[in-house]
Amino acid sequence: MATDLRPRTATSTPPGSAPPERPRTGLKDRISRVEVRWSPYLFVAPFFVIFAVFGLFPLVYTAWVSLHDWDITGAGAFVGLDNYVTLFADPDFWNSVHNTLGMLVLATVPQLLMALVLASLLNQKLRGVTFLRMGVLLPIVTSVAAVGIVFSQIFDRDAGMVNGLLGLVNVDAVDWRADKWSSWTAIATMVNWRWTGYNALIYLAAMQAIPKDLYEAATVDGAGRIRQFWSITVPNIRPAIVFTVIMSTIAGMQLFTEPLIFGQGSFAISGGSLRQFQTVSMYMFEKAFRDFDYGYGSAVAWMIFLLITVLGVVNFLITRRSK
Amino acid sequence: MGVRPRRALLATTLLSSLVAASACGGGTADSASGDVTLIVKTFSQFGYDELYKEYEASHPGIKIKEENIGKLGDYTPKLQQWLATGKGAGDVVAIEEGILSQFMAKPDQFVNLLDHGAKELSGNFLPWKWQQASTSDGSKVIGLGTDVGAQGMCYRRDLFEAAGLPTDRDAVGKLWPTWDAYIATGRQFKAKSPDVGFYDSTGGLYLNMLMQSGDHTYYDATNKLVIDSNAAVRSTWDKSIEMVQAGLSADIEQWSPQWNAGFKNGTFATIPCPSWMLGTIEKQAGPENKGKWDVTKVPGNGAVRGGSFLAVPTQSTHQKEAAELAKFLTSAKGQTSAFKAKNNFPSSPQAIDDPAVQDFRNPYFNDAPVGKIFGDSVKALKPVYLGPDNNAIGDRVGNALLAVEQGKLQPGEAWAKAVDDAKRLAK
Amino acid sequence: MRKTQPLLYATLLVGIALSAFPLYWLFVVATRSNDVVGDWPPPLAPGPNLWDNLGRLFGAEDANFLLGMWNSLLTSAVVTVSVVFFSSLAGFAFAKLKFRGRNALLLVILATMMIPVQMGIIPLYMIMVELGWQNRMEAIVVPALVSAFGVFLMRQYAEQAVPDELIEAARIDGCSTFRIFWTIVLPALRPGAAVLALTTFMGTWNEFLWPLAVLEADNPTVQFSLSQLSTTYYTDYTLMFTGALVATVPLLLVFIAFGRQIIGGIMEGAVKA
Repeated sequence: MATDLRPRTATSTPPGSAPPERPRTGLKDRISRVEVRWSPYLFVAPFFVIFAVFGLFPLVYTAWVSLHDWDITGAGAFVGLDNYVTLFADPDFWNSVHNTLGMLVLATVPQLLMALVLASLLNQKLRGVTFLRMGVLLPIVTSVAAVGIVFSQIFDRDAGMVNGLLGLVNVDAVDWRADKWSSWTAIATMVNWRWTGYNALIYLAAMQAIPKDLYEAATVDGAGRIRQFWSITVPNIRPAIVFTVIMSTIAGMQLFTEPLIFGQGSFAISGGSLRQFQTVSMYMFEKAFRDFDYGYGSAVAWMIFLLITVLGVVNFLITRRSK
Repeated sequence: MGVRPRRALLATTLLSSLVAASACGGGTADSASGDVTLIVKTFSQFGYDELYKEYEASHPGIKIKEENIGKLGDYTPKLQQWLATGKGAGDVVAIEEGILSQFMAKPDQFVNLLDHGAKELSGNFLPWKWQQASTSDGSKVIGLGTDVGAQGMCYRRDLFEAAGLPTDRDAVGKLWPTWDAYIATGRQFKAKSPDVGFYDSTGGLYLNMLMQSGDHTYYDATNKLVIDSNAAVRSTWDKSIEMVQAGLSADIEQWSPQWNAGFKNGTFATIPCPSWMLGTIEKQAGPENKGKWDVTKVPGNGAVRGGSFLAVPTQSTHQKEAAELAKFLTSAKGQTSAFKAKNNFPSSPQAIDDPAVQDFRNPYFNDAPVGKIFGDSVKALKPVYLGPDNNAIGDRVGNALLAVEQGKLQPGEAWAKAVDDAKRLAK
Repeated sequence: MRKTQPLLYATLLVGIALSAFPLYWLFVVATRSNDVVGDWPPPLAPGPNLWDNLGRLFGAEDANFLLGMWNSLLTSAVVTVSVVFFSSLAGFAFAKLKFRGRNALLLVILATMMIPVQMGIIPLYMIMVELGWQNRMEAIVVPALVSAFGVFLMRQYAEQAVPDELIEAARIDGCSTFRIFWTIVLPALRPGAAVLALTTFMGTWNEFLWPLAVLEADNPTVQFSLSQLSTTYYTDYTLMFTGALVATVPLLLVFIAFGRQIIGGIMEGAVKA
């Protein structure tokens, strides 16, 4: 593989631009031009073919169902937009939107900041680097069931470790499930615990691709570590940061497992006695599979879809502008 | 064009990964010999293994395959999915009492068991159990009863002794002929042992009392929502609030790890216990606490919580054979066998009177005659009509009670919220 | 610079201890009897019951635990290879090739990630009924062969990790696009691909709702087997933890065996750039 790139940088083109036309003719050249033109479609085709069958159909089907009054046994009457009208006036739905956004912020912002710090710590000359890097990934191999019980113990009202520690500094025990702020904090902690190491690894992979001479030049210019971090590392891993922000937003909007296992009892899907920590995904599941109102649940699903899309566009615009 | 071969290559890649994956599939189909395989869908444990063997032996050409899902919460969405898509429900499905009314609203999804000679079987079931799975005009029966969640009251002898209360099960039973007496006993208990809960959480007791309080709850027999006009619901609620305000609850949600630990640690002194819960208590409390837990009667007249039915979905391709199997499994003999296997308390009066059930004692609970205690509780029961959204409304009332326990709502606000939630749900 | 080293190590070690604690707790509970969960103070040392619990785990009738492990291993491996390959291919195309409709198609991919997964259960099941794939591993594997998430990840990664000059040079040398992908882009994408492989494998291994919907207990995945260990009326935490521990062991082995290569792949990215 060609490793010496420097002489050719003169011909470098921005990403995505077409290869320059070359004065060659003949069959071979025509084939080559057709190839260049069509192979991108071929490359993305596998995704779209599989998606068309297994992704698009469920989406369209859900839209269709959301216009019907479905119950447990299947298709019911066509009701038009009734489900959506009800939904807009449904305080439980808006409560779940509020909860989801709140937990999204509590889980995403600290998580990505911690991951950034962790990645830059790991991106140094260290002894036992493999051990350290594998260590931060352990949460990903830990099963969700175990996570649920461990954190349920940590945040227990009567015998939890956090309340035990608070007791040492004379703070009254907190009933973590009883209030919004406390339940959001507990759940965000679970999310942050699970995904910080993983995001750090994504950042680390991106940081490894930054040419070392950039840092060397900066060191020569007298820039300190922190200065280098903000002016070299962060701008250079921007695509990775954009990726994690968008992914965390999408995952956060679909938050389901953690609040579900944090809740207790047989009606855990309600996310607390006053729905303190019920997310939109939980509300959809409750409606579709617990109250057997599949049509209404589908309407909720579509609202989630729209909400995430709006957030995605906002994300997109913000990252566009800061470019 | 140079593109074609590559597209073919991709297609081959896709295809070969499909083929690779298909090597591990294991579908089930009726064998070619003409045998009929009946698929029975269950959740939790129905204790039918011996019965299947027996049935296969006496019915050549019939094979039975049980497909079980551990948790009811996981089973219910699947059942919904099978019925909505018209595929996958198999030949016999188990339906839990709490979701039954949803299915009663669409009886054409299930085979009318009256068409398969079920009429003469009505005497084999407790009347209210039979009625639950019959349409209101009696023209259709979609399910046959399996077990009932017969209720007793479990209590800790050592905690009662420490609080200066009697420990003998008959004497304890006499402490609470009514729920008011139960509350009074609780106050006495708390006066001596302020750090121990008298019971685990109020939601369970509320449900228990509600099921004793009349022939209907949130809905009347015409499926009209009557939660705010049925005085029985309101008085049960008020009684529950009285318990909360007396500070009797340990405020521990059922099925949480802390609840499990509470059986061993003695965090609460009493708990209404359906027959199937005895196994839970024994395992959670551990062998070192053998003899500390005991069982007696519940306050009021009998009670029941949970219990299931077997039904034959119309999508079954072997409806006749499936109906026969369901009849066999729910017969008095079948129910006795299931009781012996997994402690599922029978819904058949004949099975309840069977000595194998009547004389059953539980050694872990001080040799309590649980067969008799539970049998008395069940037979004293009158049928209660549960409407379509019964469980969902129950969940919401339970949450409102919990919010009062947590100190997040005043009782009046909580009741208003519960009624409001129920109305929005039933709309 | 040297002085900060001990502090650095201490910070990282604390982080790793926090990461590892639930895994350790899993082990502790798996070695004890069922009444330990919810105790205060929580026991932090292993107990004597591991063998007993293992015996109960593999003896559990309805769980089919070994088959579940095997099925999960197989499906996770196939899905991982497929997702990494197709995501790299499409990610490269989106990042580095110009074609009409590129941005629109990318938006579609982004949009597909926003579909709440729980909702797809019933329509997806209908498709599987049509294909006759109920209770078959195809139902788990085929819909997962591609991943919008993967395409997006590889696209973001390729954008920064593959120099345009390199592609340009290869074009001038007359390489076909696929050849460029195979010999130049794919090696450069290895660090990103390693991350994607790891998360895809873990994700497939931990998948629960969909296998539960389409499979039966006689042909389960490992998470399905795990859920079979608890019934409605009785939760045996020790047994579930033992199951979760046993289900984690292969992951740990894979992780230890290939972890070096995954991390190595990331290191290699540094050398290349």
